[in-house]
Amino acid sequence: MKLLTLYNRVNIITTIVVMLITGIIYYRAISWILNDQNDKALKVEEDEIFDYVKLNNRLPQVFDSKDQQISFTETSPNSIRREFINTKYRKDKNEYESGRGLISSVRVNGKYYKILIVESKVETEDLIQIIFGITIGVILFLLLVLLVANRLILNRLWQPFYAILKELKLFNIADNQEIAQTFTNIEEFKELSQAATAMSAKAKHDYKDLKAFTENASHELLTPIAVINSKLDTLIQTENFSDRQSKLLTDLYSAVSRLSRLNQSLLLLVKIENKLMTDQQNINLRQLLEEMLMQLEDIFLDKQITVTTNLADKEIIASRYLIEILLNNLIINAVRHNYPGGHIIIKLTADSLIIKNSGDDAPLHEEQIFTRFHKSSGSEGSGLGLTISKQICENFNLSLQYQFQAPYHTFTVIF
Amino acid sequence: MKLLIIEDEEGLRESIEEYFTEAGNICETAVSYPAAMAKIELYRYDCILLDITLPGGNGISILKKLKENNYTDGVLIISAKNSLDDRLQGLDLGADDYLVKPFHLSELKARVSAIIRRKMYNGSNLLIFNELNIDLQAKTVKVHDKPVKFTRKEFDLLIYFIANKGKVISKNAIAEHLWGDGIDLANNFDFIYSHIKNIRKKIVEAGGNDYIQAAYGMGYKFTDQ
Repeated sequence: MKLLTLYNRVNIITTIVVMLITGIIYYRAISWILNDQNDKALKVEEDEIFDYVKLNNRLPQVFDSKDQQISFTETSPNSIRREFINTKYRKDKNEYESGRGLISSVRVNGKYYKILIVESKVETEDLIQIIFGITIGVILFLLLVLLVANRLILNRLWQPFYAILKELKLFNIADNQEIAQTFTNIEEFKELSQAATAMSAKAKHDYKDLKAFTENASHELLTPIAVINSKLDTLIQTENFSDRQSKLLTDLYSAVSRLSRLNQSLLLLVKIENKLMTDQQNINLRQLLEEMLMQLEDIFLDKQITVTTNLADKEIIASRYLIEILLNNLIINAVRHNYPGGHIIIKLTADSLIIKNSGDDAPLHEEQIFTRFHKSSGSEGSGLGLTISKQICENFNLSLQYQFQAPYHTFTVIF
Repeated sequence: MKLLIIEDEEGLRESIEEYFTEAGNICETAVSYPAAMAKIELYRYDCILLDITLPGGNGISILKKLKENNYTDGVLIISAKNSLDDRLQGLDLGADDYLVKPFHLSELKARVSAIIRRKMYNGSNLLIFNELNIDLQAKTVKVHDKPVKFTRKEFDLLIYFIANKGKVISKNAIAEHLWGDGIDLANNFDFIYSHIKNIRKKIVEAGGNDYIQAAYGMGYKFTDQ
């Protein structure tokens, strides 16, 4: 729910409740005041009757006034209790309207009379209605104005918030764009903006540090690996190795070459992420693929893998170095996870490059295969090949997808 | 051949020096930028192995200095910086080749040999080893003047062996040379064996000697002794 909606909802409910309560109280108060006034007028009339009776020792003559009716009725002594009542006021014959009455009693020449003074309440009620109506109208109008104003003002007030939010959504730790300070006079948003800017700067800085660390660490490792490599090359020039020694040396060689490959992959990843590969050029993919397939011919032959190709002409603009790595990774993967006598199908069209290979019957986990150091059991790779491939694709705005359609594992590069 | 090894890492420098000296080359070394500058001002070399990151300066400046003076020394950059920019800059400035650390000494030797061959025998691209006569341009091999057909990989491997004659070359070094270091397959050593078997067979069948020896199961050695 939007803040504004919630705010308005609360606002309206509170206003209505308060309005209802105050309305009732207001109505009661006005009614009471006006009733009181009616009652006073009735009392004045009663006093006049009493004065008249005292002075003249008879009942006053009764006549219809415009808004008061008085009647006397003889009744048994002391049966009347003095009280104000709400009653009907007869305006014309058979036409009544609401009225206020006072019942009282008077004794004249030993006779006991009930006095009923009735006053029309129409004007009072009209007054109440008008007052009440105007008041309600004003309140409703005020409410409407408030709602509209709230909407406008709140929308405007929250503008900096949405601006900051937009910046935060666009924030990408890997690119160079910083979160810009949003200018606002509102203290809270100013703080929020400052905090967001500071946070993004810190995150960027830390990320950069981390990347620099990876790069430096990999770099520093290169020299010792180079030394080990060269020492091994020198060592095997010395004579007379036993079988056991030569086996150990072979293992050492394998481990060192694996270490150096791993290291190079890490360096490459950092470089791709930093977009340091800027040698964009036109690459004929068909030509490149054909060259690579020829280079790998003996590897296919050894594993008795049949390679079927269907290559159309396709040129892309990218770093040749990276595209070679991408294609190499995908093809080598197709060999590595294949079985002897398996198939590889390579199809290049204007829209996509599809590399299919036979292999295990189960699909790979699509989410995991592109993460760093994820390896299927028994894989001799570094676990970085597909990560690098994915990074390369992202770098050139290509998309790399995996699908399993038995019996083929399919990697598709979409241009 | 006279070589200058400009490399500050002692272990690496010694290994390179030893490997090349044993093969009958004269090697001099420089461990820092000023030492290297002093050497190249006084002496000429067939090939200079140049590390880019040096104490006291940048290897690229040494390369610039060489080119400014029109010295024709071959230059092979050996660098830990596997950055394409560095590579292109180095080659643009007139370096003959670029090798990224870590590398096998046999790979280095093959590259240096190629550079020197290009410098020494301008244009003529013939490599002659006893009865083997190899045309590097046309990629043809003659044994006792009889043409023998080699595949591209076999041809590459033969050149690689001749450049490293008398040395044991590890199977890893051979695999990386033939397939690049992107290859990481467990049983790629089998392909090496079949390539080597073919080379031997073709040379011997044409009446040549069998120069390739297996070395303790770790690698192979090409030798006429």
